[in-house]
This record gives sequence, C-alpha cells and structure tokens, in this order.
Amino acid sequence: MTDTFLSIRQVHKAFGTTVVVQEFNLDVRQGEFVSFLGPSGCGKTTMLRIVAGFEEPSSGSVFIGGKDVTRLKPNQRNIGMVFQAYALFPNMTVAQNIGFGLKVAGMPKAQMQARVGEMLELIKLQEFGGRYPYQLSGGQQQRVALARAMAGKPQVLLLDEPLSALDAKVRVSLREEIRAIQKELGITTIFVTHDQEEALSMSDRIVVMYNGRAEQVGTPFEIYNKPATRFVAGFVGTLNVLEGKVADAEQGIVRIGAEDVATGRALTGRRAGEPISLALRPEAISLGPKDGRASTAHGIIREVSFLGSVIRVRVALGDDVVSLDTFNNPATPPPVAGEKASISFSPEDVHLLDQ
Amino acid sequence: MTVNRFWSWIFLVLGVLYFALPLVGTFEFSMKMRRGVYSLDAYEAVIFDPRFQETFTYSVMMALATIVVGVLLVVPTAYWVRLKLPAWRPVLEFVTLLPLVIPPIVIVFGYIRLYNTSSWLPLTGTAMGTNILLMFGYVVLALPYMYRAVDTGLRAIDVRTLTEAAQSLGAGWATIMWRVILPNVLVAVLSGAFLTFAIVIGEFVMAALLNRPAFGPYLQLIGANRAYEPAALAVIAFGITWGCMALIQVVSRFAPRPPAQPH
Repeated sequence: MTDTFLSIRQVHKAFGTTVVVQEFNLDVRQGEFVSFLGPSGCGKTTMLRIVAGFEEPSSGSVFIGGKDVTRLKPNQRNIGMVFQAYALFPNMTVAQNIGFGLKVAGMPKAQMQARVGEMLELIKLQEFGGRYPYQLSGGQQQRVALARAMAGKPQVLLLDEPLSALDAKVRVSLREEIRAIQKELGITTIFVTHDQEEALSMSDRIVVMYNGRAEQVGTPFEIYNKPATRFVAGFVGTLNVLEGKVADAEQGIVRIGAEDVATGRALTGRRAGEPISLALRPEAISLGPKDGRASTAHGIIREVSFLGSVIRVRVALGDDVVSLDTFNNPATPPPVAGEKASISFSPEDVHLLDQ
Repeated sequence: MTVNRFWSWIFLVLGVLYFALPLVGTFEFSMKMRRGVYSLDAYEAVIFDPRFQETFTYSVMMALATIVVGVLLVVPTAYWVRLKLPAWRPVLEFVTLLPLVIPPIVIVFGYIRLYNTSSWLPLTGTAMGTNILLMFGYVVLALPYMYRAVDTGLRAIDVRTLTEAAQSLGAGWATIMWRVILPNVLVAVLSGAFLTFAIVIGEFVMAALLNRPAFGPYLQLIGANRAYEPAALAVIAFGITWGCMALIQVVSRFAPRPPAQPH
C-alpha cells in the first residue's frame, strides 16, 4: 500500500502467559475508516490501546505518518480517542471539555474559542457550550466527546465502542453522524466494535478479529460476501451451514442428505466421499424456484417468523436447517410450518468452508 | 408497630440526652462566672488571654500545614494506587488505619527516640525542627480520615478513563492531577481537611510531649487551674469542630456532579 498513514507491524501482546494479540499487521490509508470487529476478548480493544499508547506491545511496531510511535507516551502521539464511557470531565462545561486539549497545547484563547465554536457547530450543539456533562443525554455526551477528540486535529481518531452504551435509535443516528464528520474532516479513524451492523455500515475496511488474530481484512462487501474463514462467515451476518460429502469433485457436486447440490465450481483437491461444509446467506436462498438460482433442494418448513417487512422461514434439509428471508407481501399469505417446500439458490452464492 | 415506634423514641431521647446534657451543662456552667447572672465573662477572659491567642494561632497554623502536607501525600498516593496498583489498595488501607490502633503516645515516644538531639536527624534540637516533627505526627494522626475521604472521592469518578482521556488530549501527569483529578475530588479533599483541622486543634498528647505551645496543652493547663474558663474553652472547641462539620456539608453541595454513566 503506497499511501499508508498508520502502519501496524507484527504486533504481539501478552499479559503474563495470556496472549491477547498475535502477529497483527495492518496498513491504513490517510482518511480511511477501519473497524476492528470481533467478539469480546478477541483482542480488538487491546490493539486499539496499543495504537493509542495505553498498552505497550510485547513485540512489533506502530508507525503513524511514517514515524515509529511504539515507545511514545499517549500524550505525545497526537491521537484523539473516544471512549465507551464518554469520559467527559465532570468539573468542566461542554466548551471547556472541547477546549481542554487545545489549552494543554497552549493555543491562544481567542483561537481556542473559535475552534471550540467550530466543533460545537459540527456536532450541532451550539447552545450547549455552557452546560455540564450531567446536563446532557448519553448521545449528546458522546458527540461532545467526539468533538473534544477532534478539536486538536489529531493524526488518528480512535473510537473504542463509542456507541455501545446508547439506545438503538441514537446509535443509528450517531453512527451516521460520526461517519459524516469523519469524511468531512478526512481523519484517519480506527473504530472498535462488536456490532457487525455498525462495522458494515460505517467502514471503508473491516478487520475481523478472533483469538487475537486478524482473521480477515477487507471491505464490508468482501467480508460479508467472501468470508475467508469459517469464523468470519459465522460471525458476520446470519449464515446457513450445510454439512455434506463430496459426490463429484470435478463437477462440483455435493451430497446433502439425500440430495445432490451443485456448487458451480470444481472442488479441486477434494476427493469423493470427503466431508465438506457449504455456507449460504439467508438472502441468497429463495423459497421455491427462481430465475437465475439453478441449484435446488427439498425439505420441510419447520418455522415461520414474521419480522415485519421480512418473513424468515426455517426449512429442514435432512439433518440441517436453513433460514431464508422473503419479503412480506400483504397479498400473499405466508408459508405454513409443516408444508413441503423446495429452495433454490445460485451456485455462485455458495461458500465452501474449511473443515 | 406502635410498640416498636415507642421504643425507638425512647432510645432516641436517651441518646440525645446522653450527648446533649453534658454540653448543655458545660455551656450553662460557662455562663455563670459572674455570681447570680448569666454572662460571657468566661469567654471574654479566655479570648483576650494572650496565651489563648498564641496557642490557638499556633494550632491553626499547624493544622493548615498538616492539611497541605496531608493532601500532597494522600491525593497522589491514593490516585496512583487506584490507577496503577489496585492490588495494593488493601495494604494501603491497612497502613492508613494503623494510627487508629497505635496510641499517639507510642508514636511520639518513637519520634523522640528517633529524632532526638543525638540522633542522625536531630529534629527536636530546634523549635522549627520540633514543629516539623509535630506536623508530621499530625499528618499520621489524620491519615485514616484523609485517606478515606480522598479514596471515597476517587471511587465516585472513573479515574482510569478520565486519566486516559486527558492523556489522549496531550495532558501530562501534573495537568491531569491539577486540572482533572483534584477538581473532581475537591469536596472529598476538603472533607478530609476539615476533619484534620478539628483533630489538630484539640490534639494534646503529641504537642505536650514535644513541648510545643499548642491549643490542646493550653486547654489542659486552664482546666487544671481555673473554674469557668475551661468550660468556655470546651464550648469553643466544640463550636470549631461543629463548624468544620457544617463546612463539610456546605462544600459537598458544590461537588461536580458526575454525568450519568452508560449501563
């Protein structure tokens, strides 16, 4: 990557005998929004804290703007950070909170006030400069924390699960706001989250982490549609996994229960009778035949869940159960549990998972 | 229910009488210096006594010095232990409780033995040295109260996250301490300070054995030689203590209110 701004090289971190980050490598471009996505304990927050300087890596290096910052203290790195717990200073007003970093940097008062005004305008809280944090809602507090982190024009913005503590509606509106502000200012950003929807909707690229490793790095489209590992496939989005055996490796035919299913590609390196796992997203499966979805299988409807605009149907295929989504059509009654049904899908949508 | 309430009132009244009667009696007695009428003669005699002014001023100055040194010792220590060495908190709690179980007379004899004129640090050889020694003795006596007050204040804020937020904004340790931590535990520090003030003003053992002109030994001296003035002094001392308690209540109203924490 030629225009790398933030570079993480071979970072390894252990607390005593517990390894929390291992062999972590990442290059982030200037202005890019990268999310660390993974379950609790996967090492994503530790990796973010290493970039921030709150943790020192056991080995490896972190470069910001070409400079090795691995041994620099957090206050020497010119980073902005937003915490899950807001971390606004309770003794300071909103304006004082935003101006804190500017004052520490020795900015003249007039210039500082102008910058604080700009930031208040950016987060649309112009009227709130004189209020104290306890007088704000959670969403407002987090916007102030964001403005405070960005007021000093940091090289890198680090967001540690900033939306986790907010209610669902505020979370959605604030994530759009954060992304818009980040794009407007063009600030290189790392965002830690365990919420795949947040990561998919906000990021230029996502790093899916598991057991301290980066399982896959890619765009949201790549991560969702071309998962590199079984973990990524299972963690990001809903996934149906069908366990079968190779029937014809050359033709790409897999036997699921009593049916042969076409995968649309040669199963190179596999032998007939070898166990194989196929994965399909619910939206890649249709109930009944559908143009362009050549592969079919037959089963029995086990469960029908009405989710408003979407109806989720669970169909048993031998020992496996697959979920599929159909749009709610008020003119057509939903399928009924217990009925026989066929499903169809495109061979291109089938993912082959490692055993 | 009614029986319970009856006994509650009985115990409450008994408690109030137990605490209030001696005070009322002392106050009443202190007003009886002039035969046959109530007057403030005893208070006048005490307040205009040059020794009262001298010893009271001395003790106030010692109390202020004790507060400053106590705050400088306790606040950074409690903060650092909470931030970096949380496993050491029980040890620190134990150490700060020791002055409650070791009598001041033992402490002061230890001081005299360690810092006498023939020791490696002869603090008792000069008045200033002895004042410093006494002040450190007061710091030790006030340690349980000051530490607990500050630790309670620190518990009310998210020390780690606030510190990291300040660090990410470029602040060094001094800035974090002065502009972030201290203002947020100021009320707790003031509570500890007022408690320290009340302890130092009435302390007798250390000041008497180190032979310093403090208010405590003066109280004892007057008590041994006069009739009405000791009662007046006792009421004044109570007034100071209660004043300190009232100030703790007043300043606690001005504490920065922590924002609602995420769940």
